Amino acid sequence: MSRRAAARFWLRRPGLVLAVAVLVLVLLSAFFPGLFTGRDPLSGVPAERLQPPSLHHPFGTDQLGRDLFSRVVHGSALSLKATSLAVAVGLVAGSALGLLAGYVGGLLDDVLMRIADVLLAIPALLLSLALVTALGFGTVKVAVAVGVTSVASFARIMRAEVLRVREATFVEAARASGSGPLPVLLRHVLPNASGPVLVYAAVEFGTVVLAVSALSFLGYGAEPPAPEWGSLVSGGRDYLATAWWLTTLPGLTIAATVLAAGRVSRALDGETEEISR
Amino acid sequence: MLGSRRSYAVFGLVTALSLAATACSSSGASGTGSSTPHSGGHLTFALASDPICVDPQQQGNNDAIYPARQLVDSLTDQDPKTGKIVPWLARSWEVSKDATTFTFHLRGGATFSDGTPVDARAVKDNFDGIVRLGAKSVLGASYLAGYRGTTVVDKNTARVTFKAPNAQFLQATSTFTLGLLARSTTRLPAAKRCTDHIVGSGPFTLVDYTPNKSVEERRRAGYSWGSSLWRKKGPAYLERISFKVVPESGVRTGSLQSGQADAIGGVAPQDEDGLKAAGFTLLSRANPGVPFALTANTARPLTRDARVRQAIQLGVNRKEVVDTVLSRRYQPATSALASTTTAYQNLGDRLAYAPDRARKLLDEAGWKPGPGGIRVKDGQKLSLKVVWATNFGPNQTALELIQQQLKKIGVQITLKSTSIGDYVQVRQKGDYDYAWGNTTRVDPDILRTSFSSKGLNLSRLHDSALDAVLDEQSATADAARRAGYAARAQALVLEKGYQVPVFELTTVVGVSGKVHDLDFEASSRLQFHDTWLS
Repeated sequence: MSRRAAARFWLRRPGLVLAVAVLVLVLLSAFFPGLFTGRDPLSGVPAERLQPPSLHHPFGTDQLGRDLFSRVVHGSALSLKATSLAVAVGLVAGSALGLLAGYVGGLLDDVLMRIADVLLAIPALLLSLALVTALGFGTVKVAVAVGVTSVASFARIMRAEVLRVREATFVEAARASGSGPLPVLLRHVLPNASGPVLVYAAVEFGTVVLAVSALSFLGYGAEPPAPEWGSLVSGGRDYLATAWWLTTLPGLTIAATVLAAGRVSRALDGETEEISR
Repeated sequence: MLGSRRSYAVFGLVTALSLAATACSSSGASGTGSSTPHSGGHLTFALASDPICVDPQQQGNNDAIYPARQLVDSLTDQDPKTGKIVPWLARSWEVSKDATTFTFHLRGGATFSDGTPVDARAVKDNFDGIVRLGAKSVLGASYLAGYRGTTVVDKNTARVTFKAPNAQFLQATSTFTLGLLARSTTRLPAAKRCTDHIVGSGPFTLVDYTPNKSVEERRRAGYSWGSSLWRKKGPAYLERISFKVVPESGVRTGSLQSGQADAIGGVAPQDEDGLKAAGFTLLSRANPGVPFALTANTARPLTRDARVRQAIQLGVNRKEVVDTVLSRRYQPATSALASTTTAYQNLGDRLAYAPDRARKLLDEAGWKPGPGGIRVKDGQKLSLKVVWATNFGPNQTALELIQQQLKKIGVQITLKSTSIGDYVQVRQKGDYDYAWGNTTRVDPDILRTSFSSKGLNLSRLHDSALDAVLDEQSATADAARRAGYAARAQALVLEKGYQVPVFELTTVVGVSGKVHDLDFEASSRLQFHDTWLS
């Protein structure tokens, strides 16, 4: 790929550049919140409560005088941790099941895919709610509850790819040259079937940010005063009439992250071929 | 893509809520029409939470009491201004010198809405029934502690006797908890009489209660046995009352402004100024009883140490909580009882903010500063679990501020929320160090309900000195001497740090211009009998 082709690719897609920038900022704030703010997200100055956004407090302050920007920045760590965990649960469990179903086939395939049908039939948020109610409160539990709902989708996609790759000539060649079923599965089938699943994981990332935020909005996330994006929006509800920034700015942060993740995943799903051509 | 449709749905949910506010605009609040009271009209009242159960004998939270109070009459009433006990269903009464025997002479002619008479037999059925309810009626069980029985002397004379002196009982007969229900209700098991089958003799009758939605009530025609405190004789003015459950404080405020509700409960402190500026009336009255406080569970290893409890008491800055989280209508707690309670004793000096003394006490108790500013002893962090219910809007913000204040003296607080319906159960299980909450009652005997080891004893106390004072208080009919015991009890509770009072609850109700004469009764709950719409 030439350097000019790459430059043209990015110049033609200012939206994508913006999306990547947003994601990089969000990731940085999750791992190095100190880069963005030196303020304590947990303790505030009661005398400075409910101040509108200003240079001093870019996102304003909340009802206890805590800096909202700092809470959003520190909140991204918990929110992204839950998101990554949820995507990992879906990716790992879903891929493993899809791989098995596709490669083994027969009765196992039927049973696994009917279970996946049942999972897909239940609205995802409803299923997450039911799971988190049973599991209890907390960031990790929210992540697991959200992750489980995407297992079926991952399994479906993986199975479809495996069915295709399984019949490929190089797999037959490997089998003919005496490789056992497990080495064939791990060395030949999995690497060649994992592309679409990884793209789906990127797509899923944005959706999961929302689902995790929705559950934490409903009060299932971390216990107060730990900030999470969803609980920040929820905490500002009582102040809608008096302090718009408490709901709007964390809400916009969530929206920006979801849109950015969506844009990036769309680019991964085919657009990059243009550069490598 | 599989995820896209649901992602938009969830996204819509989150953003719609954040944008909803801007759509709310205020409409005219000034009332038009006649200025003299007249019958008729349908009043809509927005409740802050689901009543869960509208049986007045079982429930104690405000949102259940607002609808439930209208369904029943009590033997007596209490004048909110003077605290005097005055006639209602009972024309007169006698109390024996030792406060063990109470004889009530009922007015004749009152009936329950199923047509059965309100007579001495009904009094007996009710009090026997409340004792049977046991823990289902937390308040009732404490009002009737030591209940021996009720004797039907004649049709309209009932004599209630107790095994031990029970001075608070006369005031208790003025409460909704001891309001009288018909036999068709009292014979039912507790769970059966929560949503329907509640038959009282009150100025309104229950049409329908749909949990999490609304309580509908209709005026009782022919009602003529109202409290002697009420201005209007005979039936109520209002034809119907609808209590709608609207949990979001912003939505409640909006529904008052848009005219969807005529009055709303639980006005959030931050909305008070806006409502006033838009021309709405705010009614408020300080609640008597136990103020909002952290009540210790003394069976837990960390809170067993009195020095830890006292340090927590000194480490809370009450004024900052009131100034930051609440409004001018609220005030910091100055005792174990709120200032509008009978026999309240100002102990504000003990409740001053003194973080240095708190730190010293913790040092003495062996808790040394540790990593992250949290104190440690023998490898254990000084971390305390606080359970709280979501029934009062500012609770979470207040607790987060207290959490922040206590961190300054090296104490970590973790917060565990629960619904008001589960709150008592969670406290009975005991997996917490402090419980956050308040209890409303005019009589100082509420201290015995909260702190006597002979009752439910949710604090798991074993304090014979406090028990003795509380028992003396309840055994003394003479008001002045009784007040002395009650004052001792307040001092003891604070001295031992059993309770960390923070602020006094004020009931704030927002009312549109067309609602008139909506009154608070003595415990700061609402009475709709005299209310009329213009």
